[in-house]
Amino acid sequence: MGVIYLMLVVSFIIAIIFLLGFFWATKNGQFDDDYAPSVRILFEDEEIQVKNKKTESNGNRKV
Amino acid sequence: MSQKSCYHCGDDVIGKGFNLDDKAFCCNGCKSVYQLLSSNDLGTFYNLESQAGTRPKEADKHKYAFLDVADIRKKYIDFEDATSARSTLFLPQIHCSSCIYLLENLHRIDPQVKSCQVNFPKREATLIFDKEMPLSELANLLSKIGYEPNFGSREEQKKKQSRTYLYKLGVAGFAFGSIMLWTFPEYFDIAKSNPEISQFSAYLAFLVSVPVILYSASDYFISAFKALRYRSINLDVPISIGILALYAQSVFKIFAGEGTGYIDSFAGFVFFLLIGKWFQSKTYQSLSFERDYTAYFPVAVTKLEGSKEIIVEIDQVKIGDKIIIRNQEVLPCDAILLSDEIKIDYSFVTGESIPISKKKGDFIYAGGKLLGKKSELVVEKESNRSHLTQLWNEVNKEEKKKDTGKDKLSTYFLFALLTIALGAGIYWYIYDSARTTEIIVSILIVACPCALALSKPFTYGNIMRVLGRKGLYLKNNEVIEKINATTDIVFDKTGTLTTNSSNHVDFIGAPLTEEQINQVILLVNSSTHPLSKSIVRHLKDMTTPNNLELTEFQEIEGKGIEGEIMNQTVKIGTLEFWNSRVLEHWFSQRSKAPTLQSSFSSFVHSDAQPIANETASHLSINGNYLGRFVFQSEFRPGIIEVLRELAKKFTLHVLSGDKDKDKEILQKEVPELKHLLFEQSPKDKLDYIKKLQDGQRKVLMIGDGLNDAGALEVANTGIAISEDIFRFSPKSDAILEASKLYSLKNHIETAKFSQSVLKICYIFSIVYNIVGLAFAISGNLTPLVAAILMPLSSISIVLISTLLALSRK
Repeated sequence: MGVIYLMLVVSFIIAIIFLLGFFWATKNGQFDDDYAPSVRILFEDEEIQVKNKKTESNGNRKV
Repeated sequence: MSQKSCYHCGDDVIGKGFNLDDKAFCCNGCKSVYQLLSSNDLGTFYNLESQAGTRPKEADKHKYAFLDVADIRKKYIDFEDATSARSTLFLPQIHCSSCIYLLENLHRIDPQVKSCQVNFPKREATLIFDKEMPLSELANLLSKIGYEPNFGSREEQKKKQSRTYLYKLGVAGFAFGSIMLWTFPEYFDIAKSNPEISQFSAYLAFLVSVPVILYSASDYFISAFKALRYRSINLDVPISIGILALYAQSVFKIFAGEGTGYIDSFAGFVFFLLIGKWFQSKTYQSLSFERDYTAYFPVAVTKLEGSKEIIVEIDQVKIGDKIIIRNQEVLPCDAILLSDEIKIDYSFVTGESIPISKKKGDFIYAGGKLLGKKSELVVEKESNRSHLTQLWNEVNKEEKKKDTGKDKLSTYFLFALLTIALGAGIYWYIYDSARTTEIIVSILIVACPCALALSKPFTYGNIMRVLGRKGLYLKNNEVIEKINATTDIVFDKTGTLTTNSSNHVDFIGAPLTEEQINQVILLVNSSTHPLSKSIVRHLKDMTTPNNLELTEFQEIEGKGIEGEIMNQTVKIGTLEFWNSRVLEHWFSQRSKAPTLQSSFSSFVHSDAQPIANETASHLSINGNYLGRFVFQSEFRPGIIEVLRELAKKFTLHVLSGDKDKDKEILQKEVPELKHLLFEQSPKDKLDYIKKLQDGQRKVLMIGDGLNDAGALEVANTGIAISEDIFRFSPKSDAILEASKLYSLKNHIETAKFSQSVLKICYIFSIVYNIVGLAFAISGNLTPLVAAILMPLSSISIVLISTLLALSRK
């Protein structure tokens, strides 16, 4: 049954890690805005595309 | 008639409009934003949400010049290093995903901007840009694409950012989850076979419970302690007693080696309570309820030193200084006009949309917006001593009368609780004295008004959201209670009962032909002047599809607008603007003709003679005078019905700063309306409300402009009415969208409905308490029973209040 002690301690440590993760996220302002990130994630692809276009055309950009 | 709508902003396109790439635009502003976006490959803006743009205002380059004064710039820069600067700006126009897209890609329009991140609920953008870039250039860039930054004071908003609730909630949640896991074996008596393991987990549980009582639950103890110190009782007193009893009992059990006690219920209990608080604190972050006069006045002003123009901060302006105010700028202090005639728009102050003429040598109160050419003024009173701000300061000094009276419910509750605990204690002392302490503690534990404490934040929080969807934004929960106590409703007239966004328009003169109407509307649609918008609304239904095109457009500040349509010159504006020759003639004839009217009548038909003090715009095509548009303020649609309905339940009062021109209409339409007062100064309004309150009336005041600010603050509930909820609303308890005023009765009923929801929740929580007490008194409150009963009551109360409140659509 000794392994139970280990599991108790491990569960405690894991929970602490999650708590610290939560603190970190809060401090970073991840809970301040619950709308913009959901929209922002959809922009990314297009941005990369534009960058590629810029590098390919090398200044001779066509609109 | 089917109208094309603007590809950028969605407004109706009139006539041929402005066209580019097969797309139609309502005005040149929208077209140029489109051009700017498409030339920077930002066309996605229009794909995300169609017609998402906002019509940009004609920006005056000088408008943001004050931002480049070093001291002022410093105020808006959060951080600066060797190469770049960071600034957080409030952009009230942010409203959809396209806005986020556009703003966050700002670097593609102007490479000086390095990055931009939008905070949507706050309508803020954090911009990192080149250190060398003047802040005014950034502000101009944002205005150009339709996001005009607001540089008012945002102090209050900064305070709100506190994330402490989340930390406290996190700690409590962590403890709740962990302890539940560790005490699980106890529920099924498995622990008894392994006492060492059980004791070890009990110590672990104690360890994580310490931050919960010291940190997460601290607000309750502080609040209860404060209440007791002022010899009153609030709901936090019985809650604190319950928490302390629960915790003390559990710690005692742990160290006595008798398992974990109720430590799991303790953590869960604090967790649920904090969820309630957090739910309650999530209010309208982008709205500001605490603005004082400084938010309306410009940050800086142009001062004339000799012949040099310098920009200084408002508080550095002294009496006797000469200042320069440009078109569309707000006058920050009481002053005397040194330049020729201008018009002053007092719509922020009085709600009156029609500008007032001021002549050389006239005294002008602060708060008015100048319409006309750049003018010189001499300061008579400093900004913080001016007519309006003085009223403001006065109210603040006096402090708003607080609704006194203790929380009665909590007092009864505590009294009943102590009686029961004492009674049960005596009974058990006689019957089995060894268990007395345990029974008393478990009564205190189980009677803890957890469900009661949760029902209020959830019910009010949900009702606030329902009201927000209907256009009424409350500052906090307490406002609901204040609305429910209302006996009297006081309305401001100008700007509240009447609208300041559209006027009633009459055309006086020869009837216009179809072509002329089309020409006029095409011209006025290019102008953002409020009177132009009124003409657009007036004529919109009379237009016919056409291919007219506005080839030239010119807006002369304070005079009028002029345009070239199919080689015809259309002019709308003041009489002087119509034809300068008329004016010359008038001046030469001045000695003979004392008024403009009489000299004017010799030029046009007799029926078109202007009346003194009316607001009118004069129309001419190719120099031929055709007639004038006359503007009158208009009651908001549906307002008469609202007044009739409300008169059945409340005593209504109308206060107006105007002359009594609408008195008869109001009294005829709403016979119940007995208290109508006209020509009221801001101070009179404030005193009137105080007088009502002295007669034990609970007053709800609805007003708009700055001249109502004192009255709004003094009233038990002050509701500011606003055409644009992100702007120009005086300090108040709630902000109501002007277009939703007609459903005011419905709003008040919704607020009242929360009382019914609360009653139902109270009944439930009392039932839970009785069941719990039955267990406690009979000595059967095992940790398992507590662990089931407490979360069950909390969760069911949350569900009931949420479902009931949301059922009210």
